Amino acid sequence: MDAEILARVQFTVTSGFHWLFVLLTLGLAPIIAIMHARYVFTGNPRFERLTRFWGQIYVVNYVLGIATGIVMEFQFGLAWSGLSTFAGNVFGAPLALETLVAFFVESTLLGMWIFGWGRLPKVLHMVLFWLITATAYFSAFWIMVANGFMQNPVGYEVRDGVAYLTDFGAMLSNPMAVNAMEHITGAALLTGGAFVTGVSAYQFFRRTTEVQFFKTSLRTGLAFAVPFSIVTVEAGFRQFPDLNVAQPMKMAVLSDYLQPEDRGPYTVAQVQDMMVAQHGPGDYVPPMWIGGVYDMMIILAFFMVVFSLLGAGFLIGGFIMRSRGAALTIMILIPMPFLATSAGWVVREVGRQPWAIYGEQLTSQARSDVSEGAMLASLIGFSTLLAALALTNWFLIARYARRGPRDTDLGSPGSAVEHQPAMAL
Amino acid sequence: MTLEAIWLALLGLLLAGYFVLGGYDYGVQMLQSTLARGETERRLALNSFGPFFLGNEVWLVAFAGVLIGAFPFLEGPLLSGMYLLFVVIIGGVVLGNVSVQLRSRHTGRWSRAIWDRLVLIGGVVPAVGWGLVLGLLLRGLPLTPERTFAIGAAELLDPFVLLCGVTTLALFAGHGATFLAMRTTGGLRERAGRAGRPLLVVAALFALAAAGVGAVSGVAAAGLTAAILAVALLLALGAAVVALSKGATRAAFAATSCAAVLPVLIVGFGLYPDLLVPADGGAHRMALPEAAADTATLQLLMPVGALVIPLLIAFQAFNWWAFRARVDERQSLYL
Repeated sequence: MDAEILARVQFTVTSGFHWLFVLLTLGLAPIIAIMHARYVFTGNPRFERLTRFWGQIYVVNYVLGIATGIVMEFQFGLAWSGLSTFAGNVFGAPLALETLVAFFVESTLLGMWIFGWGRLPKVLHMVLFWLITATAYFSAFWIMVANGFMQNPVGYEVRDGVAYLTDFGAMLSNPMAVNAMEHITGAALLTGGAFVTGVSAYQFFRRTTEVQFFKTSLRTGLAFAVPFSIVTVEAGFRQFPDLNVAQPMKMAVLSDYLQPEDRGPYTVAQVQDMMVAQHGPGDYVPPMWIGGVYDMMIILAFFMVVFSLLGAGFLIGGFIMRSRGAALTIMILIPMPFLATSAGWVVREVGRQPWAIYGEQLTSQARSDVSEGAMLASLIGFSTLLAALALTNWFLIARYARRGPRDTDLGSPGSAVEHQPAMAL
Repeated sequence: MTLEAIWLALLGLLLAGYFVLGGYDYGVQMLQSTLARGETERRLALNSFGPFFLGNEVWLVAFAGVLIGAFPFLEGPLLSGMYLLFVVIIGGVVLGNVSVQLRSRHTGRWSRAIWDRLVLIGGVVPAVGWGLVLGLLLRGLPLTPERTFAIGAAELLDPFVLLCGVTTLALFAGHGATFLAMRTTGGLRERAGRAGRPLLVVAALFALAAAGVGAVSGVAAAGLTAAILAVALLLALGAAVVALSKGATRAAFAATSCAAVLPVLIVGFGLYPDLLVPADGGAHRMALPEAAADTATLQLLMPVGALVIPLLIAFQAFNWWAFRARVDERQSLYL
């Protein structure tokens, strides 16, 4: 394997792990924000327990989100310094804004929220979480602006081989950023809903005694999963007209898997000839297997709509609370959004190849001049570390989900006094 | 002041903030197992920075963000030039970050003991690593005409660079001990105060040795400004030791915070108006204008720098004020 492949695999591993945690952060945040507001406005203790239980899972998940986010922040300079050499004037700005106006605020406030239970005024404490939710989505927006620039560079001009920012507004309204932001916002809300639905179903499968608690959770989860499974599909298909303009090659490669009305006007060979005419000799065709990955995403999307609707149906007359089979069926919703969105990212990013910045900079030109040995060492190091930490983290999330609201640490009073757990690990 | 210089000052502010705030995190992480007696004290040590921990670490993220946004032409060469060193630092930061937050999510004694080891490693690695980075910048780099470089074992094993590494290690440990003395009560407070003094003395001795080796071997950044700031570092450490021995922990923490900022100032003022300088009479250097983004980009980001950064500091100041009380076992502990 050469250093470029190693660098690409490293980016896939680190951004892939980052995404799995970020997705759940984005998905759970609005659900918890609503629960917290209902607690503050109604004073109903059930909503406090709901906020703490789902908030505990959110906080544990966030640990790996921020940790992998630190890796991402340095990844560009470490392994892809060509990106900033060519497009630093343009590409760096949204990343800088993301750290300052979103990430920084989000983390500061989350620290206060975690430790603020029983110590901060109730309304202020709730407002903190609403701000955390808003900054999480703001953060995602800036990242999509940076990624949108790589997919479809706009708002710049090239002088002496270096890109200069000319129109920031065009960068912000880039269809490749805005459309994708809508698509992943829908996907994140679907994920949060599907996760809450699936975990609640699991609790009913285990014959939980917290019936009212998980009934409310299940309803809330489905209130997100059902509409946003449909919204996400719609927002996904809505990207095609712009994609046909910005990236005809990607659309040509996917052509066999698309509906006739979505297909672009060109074949792969035609776009290849056009690109050779424009950029000189080279192979401009991304791997053809992204078609299969795209298809997997579509099939999963279909099943997520079906299982969300099925979950809503099972809610009628409390069927899901009596039938373990029904509960087990609905649990399948938990992994689906993670698989589907990862597939979506693979299509988006691998489908952009061989370009790092579409039409402007090849991936091979964007890579840092780092030796193969160093790249291999860092790939093994980061992969091992992140995989071990991610598995541990998922284990902890699963355990909090299984133990239910009685064993939530977040906001529990007097936890300094050691309690003997039933099962130690 | 030019736009580039303003952004350099903001970059320095973010790195200095990270050294002060992340610095005491790493110090507490290093000392947590040694100073704390029993499980409750171990948790108290971590909860001393509990509400601030996430906010502290994002100073590093903000530093990286401003580096890529305002200094994109420095960012690439710097990070890829010290590739493996930065990989190790980031690995350490990630490990420590996760370990601190997940440690008390496990309830068994053995799993917590394993996490405590990782908490320690996650403190030591970035503490040494950042000292090495600063040492390399001060020492000078093998810059090519394209303003890139690659660091090998020879550059890293330079006595001056290694002394910088152990200086920040001892400095952050002493800073963390002072923070613990300021934030905790009872036996833990006493032990932290007692441990802080020798650690800060050791940091001063390493800093003095680094300055001596640097002056003799002719590091690139040797100059009057750097020398004055190095003296200031020794004075700050001395003041901290005196304040700690009098039990004035807040004054001591103010002094160790100054000491944590000074290495950043030494690099900034020592190299200015360059950002990367050559080692041993090399010809190529990276001056500030070459490193900075285009004026249009810097102007676009300026309102953010001028308005948002003070606002961020205000947010954090509120956090420090809201959780200013010392931690003790009567409070609920999360970490």
